[in-house]
Amino acid sequence: MNKSSRFYHFINKEKNVGVIFCLPFIIGFLVFLIVPMGISLYYSFCDYDILSPPEFVGLKNYIEMFTQDEVFWHSVKATFYFALVSVPLRLIFALLVAMILVRPTKATGFYRAAYYLPSIIGGSVAVAILWKRMFAPDGVINSLLGLIGIETNFAWLSDTRTAIWTLIILAIWQFGSSMLIFLSALKQIPKELYEAADVDGANKFTKFFKVTLPLLTPTIFFNLVMQIINGFLAFTQSLIITQGKPMDTTLFYAVYMYQQSFNFNQAGYASAMAWVMLLLIAVITFILFMTKRFWVYEQE
Amino acid sequence: MKKKFFKKAAVLAIAGAMAVTSLTACGGSKDEGGKEGDSNSLTMAWWGNQVRNERTQQALDAYKEESGVTVSGQFYQWGDYWSKMATSAAGKKMPDVIQMDMSYIKQYVDKGQLLDLTPYIEDGTLDTTNISEDVVNMGKVGEGIYGIASGTSASCMFYNKTLLDELGITIEDNMTLDEFIDISKQVYEETGYRSNLYHYGLYMEMYARANDIQATDKLGGDSADDYLPYFETLETGIKEGWQISPSQAADTDSVEEDPMVYGSNPDNMTWCTINGSAQLTAYQTAAPEGTEIALTTIPTSDPQKSNYVKPAMYFSVSADTANPEEAVKLLNYLTNSEDAYNILLAERGVPASTAISEAIMDKLSPAEQENANFVNNVIAPNSSPMPPFAVEGSTEAQDLLRKLEEKVKYGEYTAQQAADEYFTEANKMLQGE
Repeated sequence: MNKSSRFYHFINKEKNVGVIFCLPFIIGFLVFLIVPMGISLYYSFCDYDILSPPEFVGLKNYIEMFTQDEVFWHSVKATFYFALVSVPLRLIFALLVAMILVRPTKATGFYRAAYYLPSIIGGSVAVAILWKRMFAPDGVINSLLGLIGIETNFAWLSDTRTAIWTLIILAIWQFGSSMLIFLSALKQIPKELYEAADVDGANKFTKFFKVTLPLLTPTIFFNLVMQIINGFLAFTQSLIITQGKPMDTTLFYAVYMYQQSFNFNQAGYASAMAWVMLLLIAVITFILFMTKRFWVYEQE
Repeated sequence: MKKKFFKKAAVLAIAGAMAVTSLTACGGSKDEGGKEGDSNSLTMAWWGNQVRNERTQQALDAYKEESGVTVSGQFYQWGDYWSKMATSAAGKKMPDVIQMDMSYIKQYVDKGQLLDLTPYIEDGTLDTTNISEDVVNMGKVGEGIYGIASGTSASCMFYNKTLLDELGITIEDNMTLDEFIDISKQVYEETGYRSNLYHYGLYMEMYARANDIQATDKLGGDSADDYLPYFETLETGIKEGWQISPSQAADTDSVEEDPMVYGSNPDNMTWCTINGSAQLTAYQTAAPEGTEIALTTIPTSDPQKSNYVKPAMYFSVSADTANPEEAVKLLNYLTNSEDAYNILLAERGVPASTAISEAIMDKLSPAEQENANFVNNVIAPNSSPMPPFAVEGSTEAQDLLRKLEEKVKYGEYTAQQAADEYFTEANKMLQGE
């Protein structure tokens, strides 16, 4: 009692102690996030080639982006296609694997770790290069197709129809973090609900669609929001595997932004692109939240 | 108990994997920036390959023994190098000595980032007595000299000599475009191997120079019609099959993945490609065993106008260096020291100093000798002056050209559409609009 009251006293006396403990984060947040963001907002209204001082040009970058830059629209299209196709597929896949791994067996721990691995390494440069080789005309994919009787040297990465799918498959493969979140959500579904469903004579499918899925919707919603944001920011895969080719079909927004800034030395334009992306993500997240009440099951 | 073990193992595995990926993600970065104001240490940056990194580091180690000055090297891939230089220039933290390229030197000089070497050449700190005036002037931007060429090279066409020998075809230097197309058709009909003349947008410079419409701070042509034949030849090549298209093999800047040396069958391979002549060693190394790669001039309607001897790259000194004197001394070492070139050899082109290039000639590999011979005896006697330095916006215009070539190759654009877009859009980019 004595000890805790002294501690209480201490906190009251030193009101700032909380602030002090927060300081490392606050400083990092200000110096590495807020200040650079402010600078980038300023640059977005400038003609800035990195080498010489920025020149204020008003809304020029934004106007050029929306009215003159065709490649910008290609990159928006590619990014939307990628995010809107790969995220749902990845979530479905993650849920499937989570459903299998939720059953406790001796090797479950191992499998959970193993399936989580792609999430960690999948975004790396090494895997991107590996992917590029796999889908090359004489790569593993074509060799495997040869084994089942389809002799081909199809260039997967050079065809406008298939190139983006190689990136989507790579994204689906990185299902680990969504899977872990699904796993813990699955475990939290009360057993009684399934027992009650059994009593009512529900089969496996009914149980999945009437019990599991509704109770998972908050988790699905969370995963969806996080993954869509990640999808819009996809970078490494496109930069390394396809460089946006063929004909900009895989030119992701972040890659085009990088090209503008560091290849074409137009950091002002790239900053403007970054802010448009921020607004875009904000709008999409907002829309997702608006749809929440129609399909997300909230427990009271 | 067991469960705990698995959990621990999983955590360890994940931590390990994270460590590995963070290593792969940021590999290659080195200790940056020497101590400022310390006259015994310098920094030097370059882009390149593994051979260059090792040789340069060795040469810098030898320099330390000779002069007592420690030079810490930073090396990057081409693309990363320029983003790194741009950002460090913005922060006034450029390395003291930097490797520079023709396509960037003017931009850096215009922004006041490079040191004028003229006074040091006059007082002899940088000895240019063994370098021809033409080569010294390659580093001249406006009134000053801002870079010293490491060596000379030229653009060229590489070809699979083994394949052509089998067909009984001999390639003569200075062949015209028509001769080239005839050979291309013949090779394609007889073997299925295609050509790669329209490779990575590199052919435009040759075409423009031959037609006196070389780009300066704008495109040289008066209208899109001046560029129409360029795209028409490409369109015909695709229709007739002799020009490779990305649906057969990717158009890449990587030597190792160039369809001339990489591919599974004639349908996705080529018998030729174009690039810088100093890459001969790299192509020969990448080629399958038993395939001999040779080089010749790039076919154009006027080889003399198209060809030029160019600096393989430059060494420049940052305008912000704390030790201009020491930095220039290092430059002098990298230009005139026989000891240095016994290590560096001709990896950065045929050395600029004639004394050095004679002294090391015997030590060069056959491919390096062939390149030296090509630049000095094939290109030099039959060439025109270097093009003006690239202006800001050229990188973007070059990127546009590659995309337009790609569209024509896929049949998405006609030659007329490509020429129209190139003329209007590239002009805008070059004029900074």
